[in-house]
Amino acid sequence: MSSRRKRDELEGVISLCRAVQAGSVEPFAVDIDYMLEVIRRYYPATNSFQDFCTDAAAIRGLSNVLQSQNDWIQHQSTTLYKDPFLLNQQIHRMDISAIADSFLRSWHPLVQMEQLSAKTLMGSLGYWTDLIPLAERWKDPNLQLIEAGTASMDEARALGILPEEGFADVIETFWNELEERVGKGGRIDYWDWIGADTYEETIKRSYITVFLVGYGYANIESDRFGDKIEIIRNTEPHPDPGQAKISIPTLVDYEEWKLWRKG
Amino acid sequence: MAKRVRSEAGYARKLKDAVHLLFFQHHRLPGIRGWELRQELGPDWLNVLEVLDKQLQSMDLQVTRVLDDPNITDPDQAQLADARFYITMRGGIEQKTAKTIGWRVDDIAGLAVAIAFIISKQGKVPRTDVEKLLQEKLPGWRVKMSIDRYIQQGYLGEDDKGVLFLDWRSRAEVDQKQLIDLIVGFGKKADAEEAAKPEEEDA
Repeated sequence: MSSRRKRDELEGVISLCRAVQAGSVEPFAVDIDYMLEVIRRYYPATNSFQDFCTDAAAIRGLSNVLQSQNDWIQHQSTTLYKDPFLLNQQIHRMDISAIADSFLRSWHPLVQMEQLSAKTLMGSLGYWTDLIPLAERWKDPNLQLIEAGTASMDEARALGILPEEGFADVIETFWNELEERVGKGGRIDYWDWIGADTYEETIKRSYITVFLVGYGYANIESDRFGDKIEIIRNTEPHPDPGQAKISIPTLVDYEEWKLWRKG
Repeated sequence: MAKRVRSEAGYARKLKDAVHLLFFQHHRLPGIRGWELRQELGPDWLNVLEVLDKQLQSMDLQVTRVLDDPNITDPDQAQLADARFYITMRGGIEQKTAKTIGWRVDDIAGLAVAIAFIISKQGKVPRTDVEKLLQEKLPGWRVKMSIDRYIQQGYLGEDDKGVLFLDWRSRAEVDQKQLIDLIVGFGKKADAEEAAKPEEEDA
């Protein structure tokens, strides 16, 4: 018998097993003895890698069919089991209204609500009040046509288009500043660390602190209620492996900054 | 006495918390996990749910529990912590009420047939088989649309091989045993009455 025919027969067994898995063929509709006989018959002639793979797939499929047969028996022993043929007959016999009635008697729809709270409404009103009107936000920009030119790196830095130093340098400088203020392994209150004379500078410091922590130069710790947040300078720039990997959102609010400034 | 009053007040507060947790949607899907309820209501969370269920009875509502594995009949604490809890209607609803909540009788019947067929096939049926069955009584374009709707609403799920199964909503809302019993038992009472008639007439 040709190897082609042999593979076709084994692949037939595999596709039958897959049909059982997919539920389109009943598990007991397949002849297990015949399938075993096919696998047994061709096993001695198996010599290539592809043949072994086909053989293994057939055995796996067969074991899945046996599992499905076991599940089928278990399902039949449950109170839910009703003969599918009988069920089909009944469905054909019933009109749409009767089927719908049966369903409605066994249907217990979920009850759930989506509701705005007074707190959410207050927050939304605050947002609306602060929202700048579209006419202002989408103002036509006052564009001017200018001649295109070139600039050197130094000129771009002088214009503020490129930063004075690389981002890694910024982080290193920041880390050194942290050491100067708290020493190696020391800790400092979050606001005392990011707080600066201007709100813009405070935002910048909080932004760089995110990377300082993210890159493992420092750690951030918060109490359960988020009232006390501290920055801890790491002696070496690596994340603490003992710490859980969590994000701590921190709000750098203008009002809070003003409160911090007042002390 | 003061201790008892304090304890009653504490229990009432827990009941109120349970109502908030169960009635309002907190996640993308409705319902709340057992461990979340335990976290909020404390170690006697199951007793709180039992009391709430009794109080909801008069309003035709109930606390429903859906386990991850539907075959478990006697869950342990860990399985209960993983279970999802919902508030559902205790009784069934009438066809005219169903219409007012956006369900056509065709849609309801189609869903009933799909669910019953999937249950009878051990929970897994190729979509084409369900479509074929529904097309016997509903137009083809409507069948495809309805199945998509059942999937979108969480009643049915479809895997990448096009096999349909019962999804979370069917397990939460449908009393599967009652549905199957009602379909299989349909007409039996009428048949029995019909069979009894000639004997009565003869007598």
